[in-house]
Amino acid sequence: MTGRVIVITSGKGGVGKTTTSANIGTALAKAGNKVVLIDTDIGLRNLDLLLGLENRIVYTIVDVVEGRCKLKQALVKDKKNPNLSLLAAAQTRDKSAVSEEQLKDICETLKKDNDFILVDCPAGIEQGFQNAVAGASEAIVVTTPEMSAIRDADRIIGLLSAKEEIESYKLLLNRVRPNLIATNDMMSVEDVVELLACDLIGIIPEDTGIISSTNKGDPIVNDEKSLAGQAYRNVARRIMGEEVDFLNLEEDKNFIGKIKNFFEKTIKEIKAKI
Amino acid sequence: MSFFTDFYNKVFSFFKPQDISENNVKDVARSRLKLVLMQDRTNLTPKILEQMRGELIDLLSKYVELDKNLLELNFEQEGDQVALMLSIPVIRAKDEKEIEETLKKEALLKGIQLADDEEENGEEEYNTNEEEADADKTSENQPEELTEEEAHPQDCDNQTNDITAQNEEEHKTEAV
Repeated sequence: MTGRVIVITSGKGGVGKTTTSANIGTALAKAGNKVVLIDTDIGLRNLDLLLGLENRIVYTIVDVVEGRCKLKQALVKDKKNPNLSLLAAAQTRDKSAVSEEQLKDICETLKKDNDFILVDCPAGIEQGFQNAVAGASEAIVVTTPEMSAIRDADRIIGLLSAKEEIESYKLLLNRVRPNLIATNDMMSVEDVVELLACDLIGIIPEDTGIISSTNKGDPIVNDEKSLAGQAYRNVARRIMGEEVDFLNLEEDKNFIGKIKNFFEKTIKEIKAKI
Repeated sequence: MSFFTDFYNKVFSFFKPQDISENNVKDVARSRLKLVLMQDRTNLTPKILEQMRGELIDLLSKYVELDKNLLELNFEQEGDQVALMLSIPVIRAKDEKEIEETLKKEALLKGIQLADDEEENGEEEYNTNEEEADADKTSENQPEELTEEEAHPQDCDNQTNDITAQNEEEHKTEAV
């Protein structure tokens, strides 16, 4: 078996790299793939929290590269899905604790008996980014429809396109708010795609459910009713090569829909005032 | 009270067609980003762009009278290619005589600069009208000495003819 190594990166922090890694990883595993998630954000690890595995971490990636344990021992199996495991980052060290070569070796080894290796990249474009990208041949660039996130994503796309090892990179547009797009307060999906000139792999709507899912340590893809969960499951299917239409997030634009939205908004405001 | 005015405004705005130009935050964001991404991608700072714009104005003013304030210099992305788009509002094309005089004047300035090396490059920016006036004087004063240095007017004749042919009044030319 030769697995695919996909790095999940963004440049800017706080756009949802870790949430995306946890959800795509979980969705891929749910679809029957063997998946390893690697957290390369050494010193600021969080992927364990999103998966609810923080109490099970014994060894970290730094222990692996420094020879204190075998790679297999450091892989923590997910509670719900035995197909999914996590290689956690060390919390007490910094990004220089692991080198590009070491990460490459780890990815090569994991490729042998896994379908997907997802590398959660730290924010920034320094060594942490270089390390995370080192072993990957594909990349997902996470961004949101905001100025600074798009600008940083453009930098990352520039860096990725200069790397020979990266065969393909796709854009994942996170935290899309259709109601703001409808009022022309937020750039639309088309605007962002045009600006960044990069193919899309997913559009994830802003969903308050993400907050509670993070708090519970249970990725939102496990919630069948959630729209964001549905969107992440679609991303996983696209990664697996299926053609899946993007979710239609636009609000009703016809007259009846407008009236409905108008009354809903007004009623909300009246309630807020009372 | 404020509730009713709010409500009135809401109802009013509902029936009014959406104002695109004034309140469109998304378009503002888009155009700001477009510019900043091009600067990031090409490493051209606003200062360099401004310099480029200035030099282009100087160059083009030799042949056409243009609206300097409306000249736009932008980058556009078409797939992987980045194109430099120049939009030039032309007021009127200069005739051959004017062009010749301008070029002579320029040659004269060059000559002066070559003569006194110590002197800094003086007035780079000049008003077209003054420039023409100056050009007249200089051509009257020293027409003979300059003709040797000046090989350009003939080269440029073809281009200028094209422009004069098209151009009666104000129009826009785009060049890549």
